[in-house]
Amino acid sequence: MMTRSRVLWLLLLTLLAPLVGGCAATSVKPWDRDLLAQKSMRFVPLPMESAIDQHIYFSKEGSMGGQEAGGGGCGCN
Amino acid sequence: MQLDSAPRPAPVRARLRAAACLLLASSIPGARAAAAATTQFDASGLLYGELDRAKVVEPTLRVMRLLDNGQSFSAGLVLDAITGASPSGAMPTGRAMTTTSASGTVTNHAPGEIPTSPFSDFRGALELGWHQPLGGIVATDLVTHYSREKDYQSIGGTAALSLDLMQRLTSVTVGGGYDYDNVFPVNGVPVGLSPVVAGTGGPPDEGPTNASAVTAAAATGGTSAAVKQVPSAVVGVSRILTRRWMVSLNASRIVQRGYLTEPYKIVSVIDPDSGTTVGSITEQRPTTRDRRDLLANSVYHFGTGVFYSSYRYYWDDWGVRSHTIDLKYRRDLAEETFFQPHVRLYAQTAADFFRFGVVQGEPLPTYASSDYRLGPLRSVTLGGTYGFHVPDYPGELTVRAEYILQWGDGHPSDAVGVQRTLDLMPPLHIATVMVGYTRTF
Repeated sequence: MMTRSRVLWLLLLTLLAPLVGGCAATSVKPWDRDLLAQKSMRFVPLPMESAIDQHIYFSKEGSMGGQEAGGGGCGCN
Repeated sequence: MQLDSAPRPAPVRARLRAAACLLLASSIPGARAAAAATTQFDASGLLYGELDRAKVVEPTLRVMRLLDNGQSFSAGLVLDAITGASPSGAMPTGRAMTTTSASGTVTNHAPGEIPTSPFSDFRGALELGWHQPLGGIVATDLVTHYSREKDYQSIGGTAALSLDLMQRLTSVTVGGGYDYDNVFPVNGVPVGLSPVVAGTGGPPDEGPTNASAVTAAAATGGTSAAVKQVPSAVVGVSRILTRRWMVSLNASRIVQRGYLTEPYKIVSVIDPDSGTTVGSITEQRPTTRDRRDLLANSVYHFGTGVFYSSYRYYWDDWGVRSHTIDLKYRRDLAEETFFQPHVRLYAQTAADFFRFGVVQGEPLPTYASSDYRLGPLRSVTLGGTYGFHVPDYPGELTVRAEYILQWGDGHPSDAVGVQRTLDLMPPLHIATVMVGYTRTF
């Protein structure tokens, strides 16, 4: 029976595999990056909207973190 | 016939053009700065409303200036005007009741209603950022912030170093931050788990200007302020997988130390037989909290739209575990016009010391909080953003409307008496509307 932490590490390694491996198989040349260069192809395409969302959820839930380092900066929770 | 038909550019030619543009843009920053916009201005306004509870108006301004050599400077201002009511932590009883908050505010409540305390506050936050490339593949980001509200102040900063690897297919980011926060509750810092003294005064944010507030201050420990320190760290890696797909994984850790208790929240003391409330005490939380999370992100371009998905797993040493799934699909309708529906699902376990109330006559626990945000909470968000450009006017506009539903298990197995007939964690309905404007020049 795998413990929860082992399951977590397995999930982490599974997610990391395509990030750090597969260099030979993945080769997106500069002239293939027309779609990737678009403004919408960002992890946070609307930063102000994202910042407001993080503030809302930080004040209404028991979790935080994710996108960047930093504490609360707000007395709302 | 061939002479009449214009030859269509071969795909390889289009890609070479894109490559030439990208190479120019990435290798000659000075040329890019001269040809492209150097200043970006963002403004937004948020209207936030909870049904029968808090209302918030939040304008935000941000300016980012691109300097020589890829450097950039940004400044942001956020203002929050908050009014309404917040759950005090007290339990409903099934009959009309009066509660006294930790600051002495007395409020009347209808039968079965979650007791709340009226409040108002105003918050201002200023943020300054600096981006500095170091060579072609390394960049640093420094951000500092200051925020102030009536009973809370925060000052801090973050620093991050990012490194591009493998022909910019992979990017690694390492960062850290530190916040130094001061909490100065209106009537001083209350002693945890101490009986709340009844008063007849106004909202807690009105300050200790009347006799009732002085009465309530009897429950404080004689200190007017407390400190909270928040060091944090984040490590992330992002990777371009295909021409259409990129993914990232971030891990962050936030350690909070100091005064982590909510000074205005109370815990009901209930009769062991009838379940009715016979009194209340101030809440008490541990003075450290070790918080960690893993965030996996994916962005995929379908050609006519972009699909954003993320999953976050969060855990801390208070016993809170949470899963968050966030999905957005940006559908391009025309040039500079898009619609982006949004779904977010959230579920968390309760903190080890969360309880709806303490039973009269039983030994007090070391820590106790009835703050529903530390309870077995669920949340769903549904909404959409519409982005468009007004002809003949510069800039882009976005309009977003969202609905958030929060609920939890309000029928705990250890409920006694009348509490068994009540929903101790009823649904909370939240609506938000946001308008945003972006212009580059």
